[in-house]
Amino acid sequence: MIKIISLTTSLLLTLNTVFAAEAGMPQLDPTYWASQVFWLTIIFSAIYFLIAKIFVPKIKVNIDARESQIRKDIDEANSLKEEADKKLQKYNSLIDEAKLEARKILSEGRKKINEDIQAKKDQIEKDIQKETFGATKEIEKFKINSLNKVNVISEEIISEIIQDIFKEDLNKSSIKATVSEVMKERKNQI
Amino acid sequence: MATNPMHQFNVYKIGPEIKINGIDLSFTNASLFMLISAISISIFLLLGTKDKKIIPGKFQLLSEILYNFISKMISDTAGKKAKPYFPFIFSLFIFVLFCNMVGMLPYSFTVTSHIIVTLAFAMFIFIGVTILGFVIHGFKYLKIFVPSGVPVVLLPIIMIIEIISYLSRPVSLSVRLFANMMAGHTMLKVFGGFVISLGLVAGWLPLTFSVALTGLEILVAFLQAYVFAILTCIYLNDALNLHH
Repeated sequence: MIKIISLTTSLLLTLNTVFAAEAGMPQLDPTYWASQVFWLTIIFSAIYFLIAKIFVPKIKVNIDARESQIRKDIDEANSLKEEADKKLQKYNSLIDEAKLEARKILSEGRKKINEDIQAKKDQIEKDIQKETFGATKEIEKFKINSLNKVNVISEEIISEIIQDIFKEDLNKSSIKATVSEVMKERKNQI
Repeated sequence: MATNPMHQFNVYKIGPEIKINGIDLSFTNASLFMLISAISISIFLLLGTKDKKIIPGKFQLLSEILYNFISKMISDTAGKKAKPYFPFIFSLFIFVLFCNMVGMLPYSFTVTSHIIVTLAFAMFIFIGVTILGFVIHGFKYLKIFVPSGVPVVLLPIIMIIEIISYLSRPVSLSVRLFANMMAGHTMLKVFGGFVISLGLVAGWLPLTFSVALTGLEILVAFLQAYVFAILTCIYLNDALNLHH
């Protein structure tokens, strides 16, 4: 049975080819037109449903997933960039603050030092004044003392001279009075 | 017989004869190569959608490129309204492309080199688009035959021309693909025959032509699939967005 079928099919096959070759264009031979349209309908419908129901949605899901992933990544990158910018701003403001503070500290220190120097200068000047005042006073005192001493020495010298010359003692009070008178005159002359 | 360049287009039965109501629906070599194309498409798309990677592999990248290519083609020609017909255009393009490409293999059969196959596609598209046009626009769809801004005197002539051009759409669509595929394959076969008959002495020239023609035919195989799909998009656009 199988042999017969194969024989007939092979025979038909060769007959067919002979017939088609004789016809010129096998495309215009209508023997298998119906068959071709029939199988085309079946096979194309099958591939259409496969593509429409399985493959296209799958590819679409893939592409959408990638797009959303890319969008997410870009958003994340943007937010990170913003954060970085904020940090940078913060850092800059911190540096500015620090600079300002440093300047403040510097100026304060300078001011304090100046004040200190001024205070010390004042103190020293006051001390110098005091010392000068004390020294002047002392000089004055010395002056008066020396004058008195000069008087006493003069009196003694005079009394000794008188003794040497006149060999007698003179009244001390009188000598004193005379000396003081002379001194007064001198003073007036000066 | 083997040197007859038209021999490659013969359709013959494979397996048992199937007859329904006296119509021969036997499984033929044409059916076999349709099936091979369909299976190749399935394997290709299966490989393309197997991994769902953010960074795609080779097959995933190819399938996504194909998807984006067709998506862009549809949105460029038919606009947003054609979105529901995306799977159909996708299937149409990839099926015609694979049939053409499978036909480029030596000793294979080119499904699309048969007028009945391309005519079946073209008639389906033509009837489908016409029904779609009437469903969406009602009788206003007849405005497609009346271009705007045409003087009244010229209108009857223009309308006749428009109707003829509309009715010839399936013919031009099917003959374009069928004739391109048939002519290319016949030419390849003729030059191949020359290589044998001219032998070692002068066979080099037709061999060179044969190699060049193979490259050209691969280009044509892609181009015709693209043209078929884009013309379908344009017809769909006419039905969806009435411009005239």
